[in-house]
Amino acid sequence: MTEEELMMAVCRGDQSAYQAVVKLHLKSISHYAFRILGNQKDTEDITQEAFLKLWTNAARWNPEKSKLTTWLHRITHNLCVDYIRKHSRVQTQDSFDENIESSEFDDADADENNRKVKLLNEAIKQLPQNQRSALALCHYQGFSNKEAAAIMNISVKALESAIARAKRSLRQLVTEESDQRQKL
Amino acid sequence: MITIKEFTQIVETHGTEPTHWPAELRGECSAFVANSAAARSLIHQQQKVENLLDQIIAPDFPTLESRVVNQLLPKHTGSVFDQILNWLLPQNGLGKNIWRPAMVACLPLMFGIVIGNFYSFGVDLGNDGFAYWDDELIMLSLNDYTENLF
Repeated sequence: MTEEELMMAVCRGDQSAYQAVVKLHLKSISHYAFRILGNQKDTEDITQEAFLKLWTNAARWNPEKSKLTTWLHRITHNLCVDYIRKHSRVQTQDSFDENIESSEFDDADADENNRKVKLLNEAIKQLPQNQRSALALCHYQGFSNKEAAAIMNISVKALESAIARAKRSLRQLVTEESDQRQKL
Repeated sequence: MITIKEFTQIVETHGTEPTHWPAELRGECSAFVANSAAARSLIHQQQKVENLLDQIIAPDFPTLESRVVNQLLPKHTGSVFDQILNWLLPQNGLGKNIWRPAMVACLPLMFGIVIGNFYSFGVDLGNDGFAYWDDELIMLSLNDYTENLF
């Protein structure tokens, strides 16, 4: 079944089609929400709400205008932005820290690498929401700049400016940190 | 000729992979990297950041799928036409208990209006109403009512 056929079935109220759509998109949607919200509880709530919106607004998806994943990410993005606005802060947790890949390094190098990743992770949390979203969509979710701009409902220029600022501040942080370590 | 500022902007926006750079600038950028130590240093630093970013993995949520799949889904309301029909003729609730008997009670009235309109029962509606009423008013004005006053 294609995504279009699945969504037509969802429009008719077919729950098994809904389950199939959930299976296809749950991972990327929950990961995106987590990268914006930073904690498990809010991520699960927002992901659940995003799929509820998919169920109730299935007829509004236009396959000629956007891919299903783009539409779903847009729903999730809007929910996350609304949530952050209402709560005016992001409650983060250390879940990222448990998921750092370090197998390719020796012990000393691994420690150094883990420390850098943690530092970078902290820096990402401090980025403004639009820069964090732009980074998550373009770097982690694999969207093109045009698609990411459509998801965030901003111009491609604004998206490119946000992602450039995010990458610049992260690069400066890593470079400064490396320079300081070398001096010591 | 591309400047280091412009090249930095391209790398920050599109990444370090030359295949991701804008097609019209790709050749110029590649030549710039080959000739500029600053450009190569920038690419090296940015690659470091991207490698570190790749190591930040979002966790999986093992119970989330069952939570999302098993959540209570509202009944689909259907098309706008269905919604209007449901509003006019509700399937349930108070509307069903009050509205439907009211609609049924109105049926004889509606039937009467339709029948009355269809069979005029001797009233000729085909006449030109305005002319007819004009004549009637003229005739009324010509009547002598004086005898009624005494």
